[in-house]
Amino acid sequence: MKNFYDVVIVGGGIIGCSVAFELAKRGRKDVLVIEREYLTSGATGRCGAGIRQQWGSVLNATLAVESTHIFENLEEYTGYDRSCGLNQGGYLLVAYTEKEWAQFQKNLQVQHSVGVDSYAVDLDGIKEIVPHINTEGMLGACFCAKDGHADPFHCTYAYARGAQRMGVDIETYTTVTGFGVENGRISAVETSKGTVKANVVINCTGGYAAQMAALVGDELPITPERHQILITEPVAHIMNPMVMSLHRHFYVQQTPHGSVIMGIGDPTEPVSHNIRSSWQYLEHNAWLVTQTLPAFRSLRVVRQWGGSYDMSPDRNPIINEAADARGFISVAGFSGHGFMVAPRTAILLANHLTGQEDSLDIQRFSVERYETGALLLEPSVV
Amino acid sequence: MRIEAHPVLNFERGEKITFFYNDKEVEAYPTETIAAALHAAGVRKLGESPELHRPRGLFCAIGNCSSCFMIVDGEPNMRVCVMKVRPGIRVEEQKGKGVIRT
Repeated sequence: MKNFYDVVIVGGGIIGCSVAFELAKRGRKDVLVIEREYLTSGATGRCGAGIRQQWGSVLNATLAVESTHIFENLEEYTGYDRSCGLNQGGYLLVAYTEKEWAQFQKNLQVQHSVGVDSYAVDLDGIKEIVPHINTEGMLGACFCAKDGHADPFHCTYAYARGAQRMGVDIETYTTVTGFGVENGRISAVETSKGTVKANVVINCTGGYAAQMAALVGDELPITPERHQILITEPVAHIMNPMVMSLHRHFYVQQTPHGSVIMGIGDPTEPVSHNIRSSWQYLEHNAWLVTQTLPAFRSLRVVRQWGGSYDMSPDRNPIINEAADARGFISVAGFSGHGFMVAPRTAILLANHLTGQEDSLDIQRFSVERYETGALLLEPSVV
Repeated sequence: MRIEAHPVLNFERGEKITFFYNDKEVEAYPTETIAAALHAAGVRKLGESPELHRPRGLFCAIGNCSSCFMIVDGEPNMRVCVMKVRPGIRVEEQKGKGVIRT
Protein backbone atom coordinates (compact mmCIF):
# COMPACT_ATOMS: atom_id res chain seq x y z
CA MET A 1 0.00 0.00 0.00
CA LYS A 2 1.45 3.34 -1.10
CA ASN A 3 0.52 6.58 0.64
CA PHE A 4 -1.05 8.12 -2.47
CA TYR A 5 -3.44 6.69 -5.05
CA ASP A 6 -5.40 8.26 -7.87
CA VAL A 7 -8.49 6.25 -6.90
CA VAL A 8 -9.26 4.47 -3.63
CA ILE A 9 -12.15 2.00 -3.66
CA VAL A 10 -13.63 1.07 -0.30
CA GLY A 11 -15.16 -2.41 -0.32
CA GLY A 12 -13.87 -5.66 -1.82
CA GLY A 13 -17.09 -7.18 -3.08
CA ILE A 14 -18.22 -7.67 -6.65
CA ILE A 15 -18.93 -3.93 -7.05
CA GLY A 16 -15.58 -2.71 -5.71
CA CYS A 17 -13.57 -5.28 -7.66
CA SER A 18 -15.43 -4.82 -10.94
CA VAL A 19 -15.09 -1.03 -10.69
CA ALA A 20 -11.34 -1.42 -10.05
CA PHE A 21 -11.05 -3.69 -13.09
CA GLU A 22 -12.98 -1.40 -15.42
CA LEU A 23 -11.06 1.67 -14.26
CA ALA A 24 -7.72 -0.06 -14.81
CA LYS A 25 -8.86 -1.26 -18.21
CA ARG A 26 -9.56 2.37 -19.15
CA GLY A 27 -6.12 3.49 -18.05
CA ARG A 28 -6.77 4.64 -14.50
CA LYS A 29 -4.50 2.00 -12.99
CA ASP A 30 -3.30 3.82 -9.88
CA VAL A 31 -6.08 2.26 -7.86
CA LEU A 32 -6.29 0.80 -4.35
CA VAL A 33 -9.10 -1.46 -3.16
CA ILE A 34 -9.52 -1.50 0.64
CA GLU A 35 -11.43 -4.38 2.17
CA ARG A 36 -12.28 -4.72 5.87
CA GLU A 37 -11.92 -8.51 5.83
CA TYR A 38 -11.27 -10.65 2.75
CA LEU A 39 -12.66 -10.25 -0.78
CA THR A 40 -16.34 -11.35 -0.93
CA SER A 41 -16.60 -11.39 2.89
CA GLY A 42 -19.63 -9.09 2.83
CA ALA A 43 -22.86 -9.34 0.89
CA THR A 44 -21.24 -10.73 -2.30
CA GLY A 45 -20.08 -13.95 -0.69
CA ARG A 46 -23.43 -14.39 1.05
CA CYS A 47 -25.70 -13.71 -1.89
CA GLY A 48 -27.82 -16.10 -3.93
CA ALA A 49 -25.81 -15.05 -7.01
CA GLY A 50 -28.79 -15.22 -9.33
CA ILE A 51 -28.53 -13.56 -12.72
CA ARG A 52 -31.92 -12.40 -13.89
CA GLN A 53 -32.81 -10.40 -16.98
CA GLN A 54 -36.55 -10.49 -16.40
CA TRP A 55 -37.02 -7.00 -15.00
CA GLY A 56 -39.92 -4.62 -15.18
CA SER A 57 -38.07 -1.39 -15.96
CA VAL A 58 -36.02 -0.62 -19.07
CA LEU A 59 -33.11 0.53 -16.95
CA ASN A 60 -32.82 -2.63 -14.86
CA ALA A 61 -33.44 -4.91 -17.82
CA THR A 62 -30.71 -3.10 -19.79
CA LEU A 63 -28.23 -3.33 -16.90
CA ALA A 64 -29.03 -7.01 -16.45
CA VAL A 65 -28.89 -7.95 -20.15
CA GLU A 66 -25.57 -6.25 -20.74
CA SER A 67 -24.17 -7.67 -17.49
CA THR A 68 -25.29 -11.17 -18.47
CA HIS A 69 -23.39 -10.87 -21.74
CA ILE A 70 -20.26 -10.16 -19.70
CA PHE A 71 -20.94 -12.99 -17.24
CA GLU A 72 -21.20 -15.32 -20.24
CA ASN A 73 -17.55 -14.63 -21.05
CA LEU A 74 -16.23 -13.39 -17.72
CA GLU A 75 -13.22 -15.75 -17.66
CA GLU A 76 -12.00 -14.53 -21.04
CA TYR A 77 -13.02 -10.95 -20.27
CA THR A 78 -10.89 -10.82 -17.13
CA GLY A 79 -8.23 -13.40 -18.01
CA TYR A 80 -9.24 -15.76 -15.21
CA ASP A 81 -7.90 -19.31 -15.44
CA ARG A 82 -10.74 -20.96 -13.51
CA SER A 83 -14.46 -21.24 -14.18
CA CYS A 84 -16.77 -18.53 -12.82
CA GLY A 85 -19.48 -21.18 -12.54
CA LEU A 86 -22.09 -19.59 -14.76
CA ASN A 87 -25.06 -21.91 -15.14
CA GLN A 88 -27.84 -20.66 -17.37
CA GLY A 89 -30.72 -22.87 -16.33
CA GLY A 90 -33.24 -20.06 -16.70
CA TYR A 91 -35.48 -18.23 -14.26
CA LEU A 92 -39.06 -19.31 -13.84
CA LEU A 93 -41.03 -16.46 -12.29
CA VAL A 94 -44.36 -17.85 -11.16
CA ALA A 95 -47.45 -15.66 -10.73
CA TYR A 96 -49.84 -16.27 -7.85
CA THR A 97 -52.08 -13.20 -8.14
CA GLU A 98 -54.00 -11.50 -10.95
CA LYS A 99 -52.09 -8.28 -10.29
CA GLU A 100 -48.76 -10.05 -10.57
CA TRP A 101 -49.81 -11.87 -13.74
CA ALA A 102 -50.94 -8.59 -15.34
CA GLN A 103 -47.64 -6.97 -14.34
CA PHE A 104 -45.72 -9.85 -15.89
CA GLN A 105 -47.38 -9.17 -19.25
CA LYS A 106 -46.21 -5.55 -19.08
CA ASN A 107 -42.74 -6.65 -17.97
CA LEU A 108 -42.47 -8.95 -20.99
CA GLN A 109 -42.98 -5.97 -23.30
CA VAL A 110 -40.26 -4.04 -21.47
CA GLN A 111 -37.94 -7.04 -21.63
CA HIS A 112 -38.56 -7.63 -25.33
CA SER A 113 -37.78 -3.96 -26.05
CA VAL A 114 -34.23 -4.48 -24.76
CA GLY A 115 -33.70 -7.93 -26.24
CA VAL A 116 -34.50 -10.31 -23.37
CA ASP A 117 -35.62 -13.66 -24.72
CA SER A 118 -38.40 -14.17 -22.18
CA TYR A 119 -41.88 -15.57 -22.66
CA ALA A 120 -45.02 -16.45 -20.73
CA VAL A 121 -46.03 -20.04 -20.09
CA ASP A 122 -49.30 -21.55 -18.86
CA LEU A 123 -49.58 -24.21 -16.16
CA ASP A 124 -48.77 -27.03 -18.60
CA GLY A 125 -45.77 -25.05 -19.76
CA ILE A 126 -44.61 -24.67 -16.16
CA LYS A 127 -44.87 -28.45 -15.72
CA GLU A 128 -42.76 -28.94 -18.83
CA ILE A 129 -39.99 -26.78 -17.36
CA VAL A 130 -40.20 -28.15 -13.80
CA PRO A 131 -42.20 -31.41 -13.87
CA HIS A 132 -42.41 -31.84 -10.08
CA ILE A 133 -43.70 -28.34 -9.28
CA ASN A 134 -47.06 -27.87 -7.57
CA THR A 135 -48.97 -25.42 -9.76
CA GLU A 136 -51.86 -25.01 -7.30
CA GLY A 137 -52.79 -21.34 -7.03
CA MET A 138 -50.58 -20.32 -9.94
CA LEU A 139 -51.90 -18.38 -12.91
CA GLY A 140 -48.87 -18.80 -15.12
CA ALA A 141 -45.21 -17.97 -15.24
CA CYS A 142 -42.55 -16.16 -17.19
CA PHE A 143 -39.41 -17.91 -18.31
CA CYS A 144 -36.08 -16.78 -19.70
CA ALA A 145 -33.64 -19.57 -20.52
CA LYS A 146 -30.62 -17.25 -20.47
CA ASP A 147 -31.08 -16.32 -16.81
CA GLY A 148 -29.16 -18.33 -14.27
CA HIS A 149 -26.55 -18.02 -11.58
CA ALA A 150 -22.79 -17.84 -11.21
CA ASP A 151 -20.23 -18.36 -8.49
CA PRO A 152 -19.98 -15.05 -6.60
CA PHE A 153 -16.53 -15.89 -5.21
CA HIS A 154 -14.96 -16.76 -8.53
CA CYS A 155 -16.61 -13.82 -10.31
CA THR A 156 -15.22 -11.38 -7.73
CA TYR A 157 -11.77 -12.96 -7.84
CA ALA A 158 -11.81 -12.92 -11.63
CA TYR A 159 -12.27 -9.14 -11.52
CA ALA A 160 -9.80 -8.71 -8.65
CA ARG A 161 -7.03 -10.77 -10.24
CA GLY A 162 -7.58 -9.07 -13.58
CA ALA A 163 -7.36 -5.67 -11.90
CA GLN A 164 -4.20 -6.65 -10.01
CA ARG A 165 -2.52 -7.75 -13.22
CA MET A 166 -3.10 -4.24 -14.56
CA GLY A 167 -1.50 -2.71 -11.47
CA VAL A 168 -4.34 -2.30 -9.00
CA ASP A 169 -3.43 -2.82 -5.32
CA ILE A 170 -5.77 -4.68 -2.98
CA GLU A 171 -5.40 -4.27 0.76
CA THR A 172 -7.45 -6.72 2.80
CA TYR A 173 -8.08 -6.75 6.56
CA THR A 174 -7.91 -2.97 6.55
CA THR A 175 -10.62 -0.82 8.09
CA VAL A 176 -11.51 2.67 6.88
CA THR A 177 -11.91 4.93 9.89
CA GLY A 178 -12.40 8.33 8.27
CA PHE A 179 -11.81 10.60 5.31
CA GLY A 180 -9.95 13.82 4.70
CA VAL A 181 -11.77 16.62 2.86
CA GLU A 182 -10.04 19.79 1.63
CA ASN A 183 -11.83 22.71 -0.02
CA GLY A 184 -14.92 20.64 -0.65
CA ARG A 185 -12.99 17.82 -2.30
CA ILE A 186 -12.05 14.40 -0.97
CA SER A 187 -8.33 14.30 -0.28
CA ALA A 188 -7.50 11.30 1.88
CA VAL A 189 -8.69 8.03 3.37
CA GLU A 190 -7.81 7.21 6.98
CA THR A 191 -7.37 3.50 7.57
CA SER A 192 -6.25 1.13 10.28
CA LYS A 193 -2.95 0.92 8.37
CA GLY A 194 -2.39 4.65 7.99
CA THR A 195 -3.60 7.53 5.86
CA VAL A 196 -3.77 7.28 2.07
CA LYS A 197 -4.14 10.36 -0.10
CA ALA A 198 -6.54 10.07 -3.01
CA ASN A 199 -8.07 12.09 -5.84
CA VAL A 200 -11.20 9.99 -5.98
CA VAL A 201 -12.81 7.69 -3.42
CA ILE A 202 -15.46 5.17 -4.40
CA ASN A 203 -17.71 3.86 -1.68
CA CYS A 204 -18.75 0.27 -2.50
CA THR A 205 -19.61 -0.85 1.01
CA GLY A 206 -23.16 -2.14 0.46
CA GLY A 207 -25.12 -2.04 3.70
CA TYR A 208 -22.45 0.16 5.29
CA ALA A 209 -22.54 2.74 2.48
CA ALA A 210 -24.63 5.26 4.42
CA GLN A 211 -22.28 5.10 7.42
CA MET A 212 -19.26 5.57 5.14
CA ALA A 213 -20.88 8.49 3.33
CA ALA A 214 -21.81 10.09 6.65
CA LEU A 215 -18.08 10.37 7.40
CA VAL A 216 -17.85 13.01 4.65
CA GLY A 217 -21.18 14.58 5.61
CA ASP A 218 -23.18 12.95 2.82
CA GLU A 219 -26.60 11.54 3.57
CA LEU A 220 -27.57 8.39 1.69
CA PRO A 221 -30.97 6.74 2.10
CA ILE A 222 -29.47 3.24 2.17
CA THR A 223 -30.27 0.81 4.96
CA PRO A 224 -29.02 -2.71 5.70
CA GLU A 225 -31.59 -5.49 5.81
CA ARG A 226 -30.89 -9.09 6.74
CA HIS A 227 -31.79 -11.81 4.26
CA GLN A 228 -31.22 -15.48 4.97
CA ILE A 229 -30.37 -18.40 2.73
CA LEU A 230 -30.04 -22.13 3.22
CA ILE A 231 -28.46 -24.93 1.25
CA THR A 232 -29.31 -28.63 1.27
CA GLU A 233 -27.39 -31.83 0.77
CA PRO A 234 -26.62 -32.57 -2.89
CA VAL A 235 -28.95 -34.86 -4.81
CA ALA A 236 -29.17 -35.94 -8.43
CA HIS A 237 -30.17 -33.19 -10.85
CA ILE A 238 -33.90 -32.58 -10.69
CA MET A 239 -34.44 -28.90 -11.55
CA ASN A 240 -32.89 -26.61 -14.17
CA PRO A 241 -34.20 -23.11 -13.53
CA MET A 242 -34.31 -20.82 -10.57
CA VAL A 243 -37.93 -20.90 -9.42
CA MET A 244 -39.00 -17.60 -7.96
CA SER A 245 -42.16 -16.02 -6.63
CA LEU A 246 -42.41 -12.30 -6.01
CA HIS A 247 -45.75 -12.70 -4.25
CA ARG A 248 -44.58 -15.42 -1.87
CA HIS A 249 -41.09 -13.94 -1.58
CA PHE A 250 -38.93 -16.95 -2.32
CA TYR A 251 -36.36 -18.23 -4.77
CA VAL A 252 -35.03 -21.77 -5.20
CA GLN A 253 -32.37 -23.19 -7.45
CA GLN A 254 -30.35 -26.37 -7.74
CA THR A 255 -26.64 -25.82 -8.17
CA PRO A 256 -24.62 -27.86 -10.70
CA HIS A 257 -23.20 -29.74 -7.68
CA GLY A 258 -26.73 -30.89 -6.82
CA SER A 259 -27.41 -29.03 -3.60
CA VAL A 260 -30.53 -26.89 -3.51
CA ILE A 261 -30.06 -23.28 -2.46
CA MET A 262 -33.02 -21.17 -1.43
CA GLY A 263 -33.89 -17.90 0.23
CA ILE A 264 -36.95 -15.95 1.29
CA GLY A 265 -37.66 -12.29 1.88
CA ASP A 266 -39.20 -11.24 5.16
CA PRO A 267 -41.24 -8.02 4.82
CA THR A 268 -41.05 -7.49 8.60
CA GLU A 269 -37.23 -7.63 8.77
CA PRO A 270 -36.01 -4.58 10.71
CA VAL A 271 -33.16 -2.29 9.61
CA SER A 272 -29.96 -3.59 11.19
CA HIS A 273 -26.51 -4.97 10.55
CA ASN A 274 -27.59 -8.26 12.15
CA ILE A 275 -26.73 -11.12 9.80
CA ARG A 276 -27.13 -14.01 12.22
CA SER A 277 -29.19 -17.07 11.38
CA SER A 278 -32.57 -17.64 12.97
CA TRP A 279 -34.58 -20.84 13.45
CA GLN A 280 -37.74 -18.99 12.50
CA TYR A 281 -36.31 -18.49 9.05
CA LEU A 282 -35.39 -22.15 8.73
CA GLU A 283 -38.87 -23.28 9.65
CA HIS A 284 -40.69 -20.74 7.52
CA ASN A 285 -38.48 -21.22 4.47
CA ALA A 286 -38.83 -24.98 4.60
CA TRP A 287 -42.60 -24.71 4.84
CA LEU A 288 -42.98 -22.04 2.17
CA VAL A 289 -40.77 -23.62 -0.47
CA THR A 290 -42.13 -27.15 -0.08
CA GLN A 291 -45.64 -25.81 -0.77
CA THR A 292 -44.50 -25.10 -4.30
CA LEU A 293 -41.79 -27.75 -4.62
CA PRO A 294 -42.95 -30.70 -2.49
CA ALA A 295 -40.20 -32.96 -3.81
CA PHE A 296 -37.70 -31.05 -1.68
CA ARG A 297 -39.53 -32.13 1.48
CA SER A 298 -37.13 -35.02 2.04
CA LEU A 299 -33.94 -32.97 1.64
CA ARG A 300 -31.76 -32.29 4.63
CA VAL A 301 -30.42 -28.80 5.22
CA VAL A 302 -26.66 -28.67 5.63
CA ARG A 303 -26.04 -24.97 6.11
CA GLN A 304 -27.84 -21.69 6.67
CA TRP A 305 -26.52 -18.15 6.72
CA GLY A 306 -27.52 -14.51 6.60
CA GLY A 307 -26.30 -11.48 4.68
CA SER A 308 -27.19 -7.86 4.17
CA TYR A 309 -29.18 -6.30 1.37
CA ASP A 310 -28.33 -2.61 0.88
CA MET A 311 -31.85 -1.28 0.52
CA SER A 312 -32.67 2.02 -1.19
CA PRO A 313 -36.11 3.68 -1.12
CA ASP A 314 -36.95 2.73 -4.72
CA ARG A 315 -35.07 -0.59 -4.56
CA ASN A 316 -32.54 0.52 -7.14
CA PRO A 317 -28.87 1.43 -7.05
CA ILE A 318 -27.60 4.84 -6.05
CA ILE A 319 -24.51 6.24 -7.78
CA ASN A 320 -23.91 9.57 -6.18
CA GLU A 321 -21.12 12.08 -5.71
CA ALA A 322 -21.10 13.74 -2.27
CA ALA A 323 -22.09 17.43 -2.48
CA ASP A 324 -19.62 18.59 0.18
CA ALA A 325 -16.80 16.22 -0.77
CA ARG A 326 -16.47 16.15 -4.54
CA GLY A 327 -14.69 13.08 -5.75
CA PHE A 328 -16.37 10.90 -3.12
CA ILE A 329 -18.70 8.64 -5.07
CA SER A 330 -21.02 6.09 -3.51
CA VAL A 331 -22.16 3.06 -5.49
CA ALA A 332 -24.63 1.14 -3.36
CA GLY A 333 -28.28 0.54 -2.60
CA PHE A 334 -28.60 -2.36 -5.02
CA SER A 335 -31.38 -3.80 -2.84
CA GLY A 336 -30.61 -7.45 -3.44
CA HIS A 337 -29.75 -7.36 -7.13
CA GLY A 338 -26.23 -5.93 -7.12
CA PHE A 339 -24.35 -9.04 -8.14
CA MET A 340 -26.25 -9.52 -11.38
CA VAL A 341 -25.85 -5.91 -12.56
CA ALA A 342 -22.30 -5.35 -11.29
CA PRO A 343 -20.48 -5.81 -14.64
CA ARG A 344 -22.50 -3.14 -16.44
CA THR A 345 -22.68 -0.79 -13.45
CA ALA A 346 -18.89 -0.87 -13.15
CA ILE A 347 -18.57 0.03 -16.83
CA LEU A 348 -21.02 2.91 -16.39
CA LEU A 349 -19.02 4.34 -13.49
CA ALA A 350 -15.63 3.76 -15.11
CA ASN A 351 -16.79 5.46 -18.30
CA HIS A 352 -17.97 8.40 -16.22
CA LEU A 353 -14.66 8.65 -14.35
CA THR A 354 -12.56 8.45 -17.50
CA GLY A 355 -14.63 10.94 -19.45
CA GLN A 356 -15.98 8.39 -21.90
CA GLU A 357 -19.46 8.29 -23.34
CA ASP A 358 -21.99 5.78 -22.16
CA SER A 359 -25.41 4.84 -23.54
CA LEU A 360 -26.85 5.08 -20.01
CA ASP A 361 -27.18 8.36 -18.13
CA ILE A 362 -25.36 8.05 -14.81
CA GLN A 363 -27.21 11.09 -13.43
CA ARG A 364 -30.41 9.06 -13.25
CA PHE A 365 -28.85 7.07 -10.41
CA SER A 366 -28.06 10.06 -8.18
CA VAL A 367 -29.94 10.72 -4.93
CA GLU A 368 -31.53 13.78 -6.55
CA ARG A 369 -34.18 11.44 -7.85
CA TYR A 370 -35.71 11.23 -4.38
CA GLU A 371 -36.27 15.00 -4.44
CA THR A 372 -37.35 15.43 -8.03
CA GLY A 373 -39.53 12.33 -7.90
CA ALA A 374 -37.80 10.76 -10.92
CA LEU A 375 -37.66 7.46 -9.09
CA LEU A 376 -36.33 4.34 -10.74
CA LEU A 377 -39.44 2.34 -10.00
CA GLU A 378 -38.98 -1.37 -10.34
CA PRO A 379 -42.08 -3.55 -10.04
CA SER A 380 -40.22 -6.86 -9.81
CA VAL A 381 -38.09 -7.04 -6.67
CA VAL A 382 -38.28 -9.87 -4.12
CA MET B 1 -19.03 -60.30 12.63
CA ARG B 2 -20.69 -59.36 15.89
CA ILE B 3 -19.19 -58.75 19.31
CA GLU B 4 -20.44 -61.64 21.42
CA ALA B 5 -18.82 -60.92 24.78
CA HIS B 6 -18.05 -57.50 26.18
CA PRO B 7 -16.61 -56.61 29.62
CA VAL B 8 -19.19 -53.89 30.26
CA LEU B 9 -22.13 -54.30 27.89
CA ASN B 10 -24.73 -57.03 27.85
CA PHE B 11 -26.31 -57.73 24.49
CA GLU B 12 -30.02 -58.39 24.55
CA ARG B 13 -30.35 -58.85 20.84
CA GLY B 14 -33.85 -60.33 20.72
CA GLU B 15 -35.30 -62.58 18.03
CA LYS B 16 -33.77 -62.54 14.59
CA ILE B 17 -35.64 -60.76 11.81
CA THR B 18 -34.97 -60.45 8.07
CA PHE B 19 -34.73 -57.52 5.66
CA PHE B 20 -33.61 -57.11 2.05
CA TYR B 21 -30.24 -55.93 0.82
CA ASN B 22 -30.19 -55.45 -2.96
CA ASP B 23 -33.19 -57.83 -3.12
CA LYS B 24 -31.34 -60.55 -1.14
CA GLU B 25 -32.79 -61.58 2.21
CA VAL B 26 -30.44 -60.80 5.11
CA GLU B 27 -30.78 -61.76 8.79
CA ALA B 28 -30.49 -59.14 11.52
CA TYR B 29 -31.35 -58.43 15.12
CA PRO B 30 -33.98 -55.70 15.60
CA THR B 31 -31.70 -53.91 18.07
CA GLU B 32 -29.04 -53.30 15.41
CA THR B 33 -28.51 -50.51 12.95
CA ILE B 34 -28.75 -51.35 9.25
CA ALA B 35 -24.99 -50.82 8.94
CA ALA B 36 -24.26 -53.24 11.81
CA ALA B 37 -26.52 -55.89 10.29
CA LEU B 38 -24.90 -55.49 6.87
CA HIS B 39 -21.47 -55.64 8.46
CA ALA B 40 -22.39 -58.88 10.21
CA ALA B 41 -23.63 -60.22 6.88
CA GLY B 42 -20.23 -59.48 5.32
CA VAL B 43 -21.25 -56.38 3.36
CA ARG B 44 -18.41 -53.85 3.47
CA LYS B 45 -19.23 -51.62 0.49
CA LEU B 46 -22.30 -49.54 1.29
CA GLY B 47 -22.30 -47.03 -1.55
CA GLU B 48 -20.21 -45.05 -4.00
CA SER B 49 -18.67 -41.60 -3.96
CA PRO B 50 -20.82 -39.12 -5.91
CA GLU B 51 -18.27 -37.89 -8.47
CA LEU B 52 -15.70 -40.64 -9.06
CA HIS B 53 -17.89 -43.59 -8.04
CA ARG B 54 -15.31 -45.07 -5.70
CA PRO B 55 -16.52 -47.61 -3.12
CA ARG B 56 -17.61 -46.19 0.24
CA GLY B 57 -18.00 -48.09 3.49
CA LEU B 58 -18.70 -47.46 7.16
CA PHE B 59 -16.67 -44.51 8.38
CA CYS B 60 -17.90 -42.19 11.12
CA ALA B 61 -20.71 -44.46 12.40
CA ILE B 62 -22.48 -41.49 14.03
CA GLY B 63 -24.48 -40.12 11.09
CA ASN B 64 -22.16 -37.27 10.19
CA CYS B 65 -19.91 -38.18 7.32
CA SER B 66 -22.18 -39.14 4.39
CA SER B 67 -20.12 -42.28 3.72
CA CYS B 68 -22.91 -44.79 4.41
CA PHE B 69 -25.72 -43.21 2.32
CA MET B 70 -28.03 -45.94 1.07
CA ILE B 71 -31.52 -46.18 -0.37
CA VAL B 72 -33.98 -47.43 2.22
CA ASP B 73 -37.51 -48.23 1.01
CA GLY B 74 -36.91 -45.92 -1.96
CA GLU B 75 -35.64 -42.95 0.09
CA PRO B 76 -32.10 -41.96 -0.91
CA ASN B 77 -29.33 -40.57 1.32
CA MET B 78 -30.32 -42.63 4.37
CA ARG B 79 -27.63 -42.75 7.05
CA VAL B 80 -27.73 -46.45 7.70
CA CYS B 81 -25.11 -46.26 10.45
CA VAL B 82 -27.65 -44.60 12.75
CA MET B 83 -30.83 -46.15 11.39
CA LYS B 84 -32.34 -49.18 13.14
CA VAL B 85 -33.15 -52.18 11.01
CA ARG B 86 -36.84 -53.15 10.74
CA PRO B 87 -38.38 -56.35 9.42
CA GLY B 88 -38.89 -56.41 5.66
CA ILE B 89 -37.27 -53.07 4.78
CA ARG B 90 -35.57 -52.87 1.39
CA VAL B 91 -32.03 -51.53 1.53
CA GLU B 92 -30.20 -50.82 -1.71
CA GLU B 93 -26.75 -49.65 -2.64
CA GLN B 94 -26.78 -46.02 -3.77
CA LYS B 95 -24.77 -45.28 -6.91
CA GLY B 96 -23.61 -41.68 -6.55
CA LYS B 97 -25.99 -38.85 -5.69
CA GLY B 98 -29.38 -39.77 -4.37
CA VAL B 99 -32.39 -39.44 -6.64
CA ILE B 100 -35.23 -37.88 -4.69
CA ARG B 101 -38.77 -39.06 -5.29
CA THR B 102 -41.11 -36.59 -6.91
